[in-house]
Amino acid sequence: MTAITQPGPPLTQTHAEVTRDVVATLGTPSRGYYLALFGAVGMFLVGLGTFVMLLKDGLGLAGYVHPVMWLVYITTFVFWVGIGHAGTLISAILYLFRSPWRTAVYRSTEAMTVFAVMTAGLFPIIHIGRQWIFYWLLPYPNQRMLWPNFKSPLIWDVFAIGTYLTVSTTFLVVGLVPDIAAVRDKVSGWRKKVYAMCSLGWTGSDNQWRHYTRGYLYLAALATPLVLSVHSVVSWDFAMSIVPGWHGTIFAPYFVAGAIYSGIGMVLTLLVPLRKVLKLEHMITEYHFDNLAKLTLLTGSILFYAYLMEYFVGWYSANTFEQTTFFRRAFGPQWWAGWSMIICNAFVSQLLWFRKIRTNLTALFVISIFINVGMWFERYVIIASSLSNDYIPYAWAQANPTWADWGILVGSFGWFLMYFLLFARTFPIVAIQEIKEMIPMPRRKRGGAH
Amino acid sequence: MAEVDRGLDRRKFLKVLGVTGVGSAALGGCSTDKVEKLIPYLVQDPNQVPGKATIYASTCTECSAGCGLHVTTREARAIKLEGNPDHPVNRGALCARGQAALQGLYNPDRIAGPMARNEAGDWVKVTWDDAIGRLVRALLAAPGRLAVLSGAGAGTFSDLFRDWTEAQGGQFVRWEPFDHEAMRAANRRIFGLDELPAHDFARARHIVSFGAEFLETWLAPVENQRGFAEARGRVGEGQEGERGMAKAVYIGPRRSLTGLNADEWHATTPGSEALLALAMANVVLSERSGAPPDANALRGVLSEYTPQRAAEAAGLETETVLRLAREFASAQPSLAVAGGISAQHRGAVDVCAAVNLLNYVAGNVGETVLFGARLQAGDGYGALRTLQQSMTASQVGVLIVHEANPVYAVPAESGFAAAMAQVPFKVSTSAYLDETSAACDLLLPNHHALERWDDAKPRAGIHALLQPVMEPVFGTKPTGDVLLETARLVGGALGGFSAVNFEAHLKDAWASVAQAAGASDTVEFWRESLRRGGRFATPEPTVVGLAAGVRLQLTEPALDGDGEFTLLPYPSPMLFDGRGANRPWLRENPDPVSKITWHSWVEVHPDTAARLDVRDGEHLRLTSPHGALEVPVYVYAGVRRDVIALPLGLGHTEFGAYATGEGVNPLDLLSADDGSGFLPYLSTRVEVERTRGFTKLATTQGNPRQLGRGIVETMPLPLAERGLTVAQSYEEQGHAEHEINPELEREAIVGWAEVQQEKQRFGGYADPHPKWGMAVDLSRCTGCSACVTACYAENNIPWVGADEVRRGREMSWMRIERYWEDGAHDGGASHAESAEARFIPVMCQHCDNAPCEPVCPVYASYHTPDGLNGQVYNRCVGTRYCGNNCPYKVRYYNWFAFAKRAFPEPMSLQLNPEVTVRARGVMEKCTFCIQRIRSAQHTARLEGREVQDGDVVTACAQACPSGAIVFGNVRDPESRVAAARQHPRGYHLLEDLNVRPSVTYLAKVIHSVEA
Repeated sequence: MTAITQPGPPLTQTHAEVTRDVVATLGTPSRGYYLALFGAVGMFLVGLGTFVMLLKDGLGLAGYVHPVMWLVYITTFVFWVGIGHAGTLISAILYLFRSPWRTAVYRSTEAMTVFAVMTAGLFPIIHIGRQWIFYWLLPYPNQRMLWPNFKSPLIWDVFAIGTYLTVSTTFLVVGLVPDIAAVRDKVSGWRKKVYAMCSLGWTGSDNQWRHYTRGYLYLAALATPLVLSVHSVVSWDFAMSIVPGWHGTIFAPYFVAGAIYSGIGMVLTLLVPLRKVLKLEHMITEYHFDNLAKLTLLTGSILFYAYLMEYFVGWYSANTFEQTTFFRRAFGPQWWAGWSMIICNAFVSQLLWFRKIRTNLTALFVISIFINVGMWFERYVIIASSLSNDYIPYAWAQANPTWADWGILVGSFGWFLMYFLLFARTFPIVAIQEIKEMIPMPRRKRGGAH
Repeated sequence: MAEVDRGLDRRKFLKVLGVTGVGSAALGGCSTDKVEKLIPYLVQDPNQVPGKATIYASTCTECSAGCGLHVTTREARAIKLEGNPDHPVNRGALCARGQAALQGLYNPDRIAGPMARNEAGDWVKVTWDDAIGRLVRALLAAPGRLAVLSGAGAGTFSDLFRDWTEAQGGQFVRWEPFDHEAMRAANRRIFGLDELPAHDFARARHIVSFGAEFLETWLAPVENQRGFAEARGRVGEGQEGERGMAKAVYIGPRRSLTGLNADEWHATTPGSEALLALAMANVVLSERSGAPPDANALRGVLSEYTPQRAAEAAGLETETVLRLAREFASAQPSLAVAGGISAQHRGAVDVCAAVNLLNYVAGNVGETVLFGARLQAGDGYGALRTLQQSMTASQVGVLIVHEANPVYAVPAESGFAAAMAQVPFKVSTSAYLDETSAACDLLLPNHHALERWDDAKPRAGIHALLQPVMEPVFGTKPTGDVLLETARLVGGALGGFSAVNFEAHLKDAWASVAQAAGASDTVEFWRESLRRGGRFATPEPTVVGLAAGVRLQLTEPALDGDGEFTLLPYPSPMLFDGRGANRPWLRENPDPVSKITWHSWVEVHPDTAARLDVRDGEHLRLTSPHGALEVPVYVYAGVRRDVIALPLGLGHTEFGAYATGEGVNPLDLLSADDGSGFLPYLSTRVEVERTRGFTKLATTQGNPRQLGRGIVETMPLPLAERGLTVAQSYEEQGHAEHEINPELEREAIVGWAEVQQEKQRFGGYADPHPKWGMAVDLSRCTGCSACVTACYAENNIPWVGADEVRRGREMSWMRIERYWEDGAHDGGASHAESAEARFIPVMCQHCDNAPCEPVCPVYASYHTPDGLNGQVYNRCVGTRYCGNNCPYKVRYYNWFAFAKRAFPEPMSLQLNPEVTVRARGVMEKCTFCIQRIRSAQHTARLEGREVQDGDVVTACAQACPSGAIVFGNVRDPESRVAAARQHPRGYHLLEDLNVRPSVTYLAKVIHSVEA
């Protein structure tokens, strides 16, 4: 913990410069930005088109086979929920730990969290057979007097995701308020009116700050357990079942570690290009990446341990079903997926022991891509390979994802990136007020923005 | 049982319905596109209660066995075919092919009405008057040059047709592709009797089949199977010493389903069967007394057939031959059978003759081989060839083809199509545009067997009736009516046929039957016969002796060509000779042996496959002197290394959308020569060559091995007879109990189970309820898959087609799992080292502690108070969690709107109104036929009584020819299912999971082979 609470090198900018630089990111976008945005919207449209086809013809378009009733959609669902974990971890837990390095990155990770959870939230709807009655999963009053089955982990999921989306959105919005006010003070015309409205009358008075910091602290305290609970609940979707390969007691911590790991992976993937594009190199520095990488190393190592334990317990259980499942995970027809997961997650993250790699942004970016791929595969392996060979050998079958699976996957990335890009141009992607707290107070000088 | 004693009234009633639009869906021409209106009956027929099934007795015409039917109709449409329990052939059971007759009735590819060719040669619709006028003109224009080829079974219609033909000086040929000509020839030769006997498998204590697939296609499969299950099912039952479980031996180059159900399989050289049977007869005769006196005359004849000689020819050990013979002789009575289509080589008569002698010297004739039954048979292949010659010689002016498809079912090399082209006017009465009717000039589509009056005499003592169970689906006309109408119009020699229609003719004929039977009231006699399904009597077996001067001249059957492999075409258990190819139920019901659906395959031995470097699905090109075809490989250890086997029945070029486009016709590789009065199927050697082609096999099989998971438990016979449980049997054999859960885990499981069951004490669950359960005796189950089709028919299960089967998406609520027993634990190889198989029907186990129930977020899956695992389709949103959590993998998901494609008009008329047709996006599964449970409960309640054991019969249990499935209330201590649950051989599938299934399996009992 000391590693991640160590203060970094002091910032050299003034308060005014911080505001200027961050507000500058909201200026007229570059061509590159538009290209990226169009790309994201295009990807989203691919997903939308695929979804329309699914609505029209049915889930049979995807690569499901009889025993493998969940495939790419649930894989991607868990993937995005997992991504969503880094944000709250960094913004809430590290806030409570007073970890200084979070300031520069927490806004972007928090935004990432909200959009990732928004993305994940689509999947339960996409993946069910009769999407038009998805609301039956919600406990709403109805004349049939039917409630959902609170014993079902899927219902827990609905609540866990719903809570998480609410809290992380609130957290993001609350954190944004002083920054929006800062932007409000810097822009003019209609934009000023919009930001004024969004800043909820923030003036930066002492009184406001006092309430604000207290409130933020409590919110952080409220959000903290969610980091652990949400992905635990998601893991119970699997662990509560009797499918060999799912039915494991280590699933909750295993999934939480994996979620944070994947979330930080995604943060790295997003931040490395973003800081370049938005010219924030002096605010998001090597120091931040070093710390992110350490966190990656920690969670990656937990994951490595979890993988080893999974195999060990599979063997040690002396249960033929468990043993077969894990044997086939490594050496069965889908061995490539199993090994992708282990190599990308467990092995590649071990490179981060080296400081040189931790501070080399290109290397980090490449590793982060490995992490993203690996974590997607982890869920794919858990779902597809466990389901494909459980109790009755005669019913075994391998699923092969089709265009409909990839279409939705691509669409989910488009949907996520679209929101993220729009956010990055609309709201300060770096927390102005918290950065400023890091800068030594200007002496005997009034003025400057907040 | 409802009866149709006022057939005319009912028909009139249906016409009224047609006019008023009530039940118009049943009468064709109705489309679901239109807004459906619910219109109440205007004229309520006293016999027709809406919502209540009416059941008519009839007779199956799908093969020559002539099983009795009970046709369930609802609101004047036939929805289900079941066996007639009174009928002596099938005793209430029915095979998959028989049940699929419904898909023949409602087949969208049926010819909707009479058609003729116009000048351009295209089909045009004509009126019946016009069509019959054309036939009359043709008959008048070609007097005496008429030929009729009929596949209709023996009965009044066939007699009428023959008389009608002969009155015009024409030739009448009755022809069935699988006609067992060789058996008849052999019976002539050995016993001087030109008939097919009945076989009593039930009494046999030792059964040897020389290539006769008696469980699939040989003579009367349902009857055979019932007897076989009877013989195999008596484990430790009956009187001491004589009622033990029969041992079964299969001898032949390919291990068929019959072979897989045998305890031993000997892969003999094709053509050596006769030598083997004679050697066995020789041993039996010389070592055992008790043969019929005149058998001693055979000593000289048989002496030259030594076990050594037979062993050498068949590729067996001499010891094995001796053992087979001694076992056969020592178990009395025994039964040897031969004459299967797949063993029909040029020496088939010799094989059947040799087996006749074997049965005779062992004293089985009159015991298990019952002459006097005179199973129906046609005029044989020779007669067809003669007809073809006269056609080629332009001696035929008018050809009428009835219920026969020779253009498909005879090798193309025969030139039957070309011979047909020589006939100026060809008429078909086929209901479908098959290969033969497509080559005709006039189509006079016959009513389906379920739409017309008819009778059948499948064997001596049985005179069964067929009756129309509903208004015709299409604008067809019974061929009997066509014949009589034509007779009136042609006049002259045909003037004698005076009945107004065939129904009247049939009733006239039955009036004489009544008189012969000494019935005073012929009308009452007719009604009673119609109600029962006909007149059934068991004829006294004819006492037979050896014909004078029995002699044997065995010649090695010749094979055409000099290819490396002997080609073994065999009749498909599902498609028969190909007539089932247009029935999706049969196409999707997996072949019991290969578990492949929809398409053709060629079976290749694993060693051969390795040598040829082919794997499952890779194509082989087979070339014989008569043709060539390309077909995907299925690697199967159940064929000899020098033999490759191909199922018959596919490769149609006509016969509707379902039949065409998939598979090959192995007959293309055969010569059409008339061996000695029959078509020799096993007569060709082929060259094989690997091509680049690949077809993913549309198989329903995942991993074909049990991996030590104890899915199909087995017990050696001696242990089973001692009444040991499965666990005790393992201990006795020195195996540690097959332990999946360690001791501690099991303790936890028991404790946990009690907690789980606690909630049963609350609410509606606390009331007294029955608890439904099922028991499946794996000693009786043969894997024939009749139950699968029954389930499809009863529960509106959609077929999904080959591509979806390839993705494992078949919806079969009940699947017959087939596992290879070769000790290999490798999940990769799909073929077995040895073709030793175990079968197990797996359906929803209706667990008391069901894993699917708690995971459903919307309570679509829930537990009913009477112990069923309910599935509420309406409530299901399709999360599929239940499917993942089901350890038995018996939940099936509607990935697409399968039902929409599976039930096009008029196929949809077959749908059971008691069962929801599932929409896309919902999970479905076996319901234990809850509609039948509720119906029985309602009936019992109306009658003011309790539900009795046997009131509820699920569709699978009803259809099972082996009687392997028992259903009932477990809480009723008197019920058969409660007894089965206490049976020492009883076990639950994956019992250690603590899901508490309601299905009990009884372990399969095996004769340990030379253990």
